[in-house]
Amino acid sequence: MALHEDVTCPLCGLGCDDLAIEADGATTSPVRTACALADGFFRRGAPAVGPRVAGKAATLDEAMDAAAERLGRSRSALIGGLAADVDGIRAALSLAERIGATVDHGGSAALFRNLAVLQRTGWSVTTFAELRNRCDLLVVVGPDPTPRHPRFFERWVAPPLALLPEGARRRVVFLGGAPSAEARQQLAGVDVSEVPLAGGDLPDAIAAIRAALRGHGAEGPAAALATELREARYGVIAWSAGQLDTLGADLAIEAVMRLVREVDLITRCSGLPLGGMANAMGANQVCVWRTGFPLRTSFAGGTLRHDAGALSWEHHIAECDAALWISALGAGPPDQNPDGPLILLCGTGEEPPTEPDVLIPVGTPGIDHPGHVFRGDAVVALRVGALVSRGLPSVETVLQGIEARIASVPAAGGAAS
Amino acid sequence: MRIRFRNGRVYDPANGREDATADIHVLDGRVVEAPGPGERIDEEHDLGGRIVMPGAIDIHSHIAGGKMNLARMLMSEEHHATIVPAEGACLCGSGIVTPSTHVTGCRYAEMGYTAAFEPAMLGSNARHAHLEMADIPIIDTGGYLVLGSDDLLLDLLARGERPETIRDYVGWMLTATQSMAIKTVNPGGINAFKYNARRLDLDEAGPRYGLTPRAILTALARAVHDLGLPHPLHVHGCNLGVPGNVATTLDTIGAAAGLPLHLTHVQFHSYDTEGDRRFSSGAARIAEAVNRTPTLSVDVGQIVFGQTVTASADTMTQRGTAPLAHPRKWAAMDIECDAGCGVVPFRYRDKSFVNALQWAIGLELFLLIEDPWRVFLTTDHPNGGPFTSYPELIRLLMDRDYRLARLAEIHPEASAHTTLGSIAREYTLAEIAIMTRAAPARSLGLRDRGHLGPGAAADVVVYDDLPDRRAMFERPRMVFKDGVLVARDGRTVTVTKGSTHVVRPGFDDAIGRVVARHFEERIGIKAKHFAISDDEIRGGDGPVRHGARGQG
Repeated sequence: MALHEDVTCPLCGLGCDDLAIEADGATTSPVRTACALADGFFRRGAPAVGPRVAGKAATLDEAMDAAAERLGRSRSALIGGLAADVDGIRAALSLAERIGATVDHGGSAALFRNLAVLQRTGWSVTTFAELRNRCDLLVVVGPDPTPRHPRFFERWVAPPLALLPEGARRRVVFLGGAPSAEARQQLAGVDVSEVPLAGGDLPDAIAAIRAALRGHGAEGPAAALATELREARYGVIAWSAGQLDTLGADLAIEAVMRLVREVDLITRCSGLPLGGMANAMGANQVCVWRTGFPLRTSFAGGTLRHDAGALSWEHHIAECDAALWISALGAGPPDQNPDGPLILLCGTGEEPPTEPDVLIPVGTPGIDHPGHVFRGDAVVALRVGALVSRGLPSVETVLQGIEARIASVPAAGGAAS
Repeated sequence: MRIRFRNGRVYDPANGREDATADIHVLDGRVVEAPGPGERIDEEHDLGGRIVMPGAIDIHSHIAGGKMNLARMLMSEEHHATIVPAEGACLCGSGIVTPSTHVTGCRYAEMGYTAAFEPAMLGSNARHAHLEMADIPIIDTGGYLVLGSDDLLLDLLARGERPETIRDYVGWMLTATQSMAIKTVNPGGINAFKYNARRLDLDEAGPRYGLTPRAILTALARAVHDLGLPHPLHVHGCNLGVPGNVATTLDTIGAAAGLPLHLTHVQFHSYDTEGDRRFSSGAARIAEAVNRTPTLSVDVGQIVFGQTVTASADTMTQRGTAPLAHPRKWAAMDIECDAGCGVVPFRYRDKSFVNALQWAIGLELFLLIEDPWRVFLTTDHPNGGPFTSYPELIRLLMDRDYRLARLAEIHPEASAHTTLGSIAREYTLAEIAIMTRAAPARSLGLRDRGHLGPGAAADVVVYDDLPDRRAMFERPRMVFKDGVLVARDGRTVTVTKGSTHVVRPGFDDAIGRVVARHFEERIGIKAKHFAISDDEIRGGDGPVRHGARGQG
């Protein structure tokens, strides 16, 4: 039995690195996480199943053979999920290039709401440590992010404002949302208030603040918030794009960005997108540096095609002739099944309710092997460590094995080589 | 594996060879002395009088890290228009001004470059930069750590900590981030911008810490010197792009007070305020100062006409120029009580007075600075233009008639405001070899690169001696990296792995406690997790380590 201190959690993108986890044989148990998500993530046992092909137990080699056979003859495969560490994502992109597949992360919908705004108008944002030390006014737009990022307020908002003059106090305003009991508890001692939406939606509410900033509409909560933003030293407007489940989410985000920039001409103000569950941010970063494009990119025909709409996994899974789904970081199998074969690489405890054509249990970065994941603010890359040895291969190992098998037989077409 | 290059005209300035007809012998990726008679040669290349140089080294090129990915995403139209399909040895990719990693490595190698250094790695983003550099094939890489607006350094300076403490902090950060040199970007200015200062002059006290950029710059220059880092403090000064900044730049040179300094993209810092438009060339004044200051080196940051994107840690300046963005979108970030980044697309037009004069100022600097050992060929890729413009730039430097023809095409008032037309100098091949090979290697302390003497890495480039120097440098006949033929006639033929270079000075580890407390209390990451270990570099290969001056 071993107690691991200062363990880094790869799960939600907050980058907490102060966890205590006990490892005993093939089992890990949380000792101190202060987080319900991490508690579940670090509670792992010995693998319940081994590799399986068509419902029958197989060796790892047989499963990789079967995966290579199915992917090798595909012409429009999907490599989705991508809940893996940086090395696993690199291997997924190499395999995608080999077989002409399309890549996407299972949780990319939220990411692309933000990217749409970045590509249309640009981006003015900050990172967690700036928020923690400088931000005297935090506006949380939309739902409380605590359910997805349980320690956000505790780690990045509750600590002292170390880099502002003594006496500076932090205020937190929830615009169009309300803090959960957990959030309130974490924010004990911080001035918290709520500005409900007055009938309209988030873009309307933000438009009213922008109008007030320009001197239109001198009263009401919008005007008060405009004044607060103007008088703050360093305002931050945060949102969790994955929780803005409305058709106009990217309009709301664009409105936030315009508001940020108008305030930033007077005093300092930055946006802060929250997200990055299961290394979505890392999957996108690696894809951008390797291809020049974000996720939702196809390698078909030995070239690149990026289409944020048509090449999302949700669209492509219905059209692809084979799907490889990677879930090593607790994201789970896809909630739709492809017409063609499904090859699933999953962490322990994530086995799907229905049997895929090929199932390969893989190790989880941060538990079975070291790896890199990106924090949700997209700047900080974290190294996670290994806690136990359960004999599970990494995503990288499995994908390299599959690619080597495909490389050793002539390409079926549509491939780069 | 033994290779012989016969009958080459060798340009190897570090070993005093200029147009020397000689054979080069290579054994297992290294240059060696001629073997004794009877030794088996595995591969022989008869160069028939072609020109041979060591692989070129780019001392300042933004090739990796968060700001480049942000730029790639922002410049989505450019990437859609510049897709590179897989062909031959090369994988697919995209981009010219912000190429994807594979394209970056291949394009550099195809031009005869075998190393490029990312000059603005933020500590908080260093792990990303290293992960990305591991995906750049063929060429060697390394990163310069940005310091000077990080709150811990400013706090230490404001508290009056001794130079030894500052030295140890710089040493700790350099080592933890696996860096090759220290850069400062608008020292204090990025920090001041976080307190809503929009401008900070060299002798103006910044907010909170009350420190002037001069004080920060000199403290860092001294720390770099005391650590014995081979490359001097790499300085992106105050007031980038501001007319009249020539005075700031001359003051910055003065601030060094005898300590070595490297001023980067000095073109952007050489603007005077004469003439009707209050914008004129300060190149002659800067060149004169460089010529009389032997401890000073510069790279130019030449602009080239066309679309590009500027990416910089200098949020203060980038926020100021954002209204000029073309296309009209830009990105900015404050980052981790460390620094920041600003990404602003830009189109340099030869018919714009200002852009045309910037172009001329860059060339004036190249031509008026006399010592090719102290001026390096850069476009501050991609800020002045993409690195693939270097062959054109070499032609402009080597061919006066061509230069005059180009000068005649730019905005007429700009050409009237520059002395470029009266400068007769043409760079020689030997000077190009110094500026792009021997000098950057010496400046960075790369003892086995940038030359072709025994013990050097076999980075060997073979050129046809073409009168059109652009064509010559665009498509070398053969490029070898560590003894492997990687490109032929401007096309990649073998994709190899590059290495990442770091420098490891000695310092007092006790500073680690101060750093650890800062990370624990403020940054929210433990210092031991912030530090990057050797096995994280280049996919587990680890870095190539270089010692400080005086070390082995």
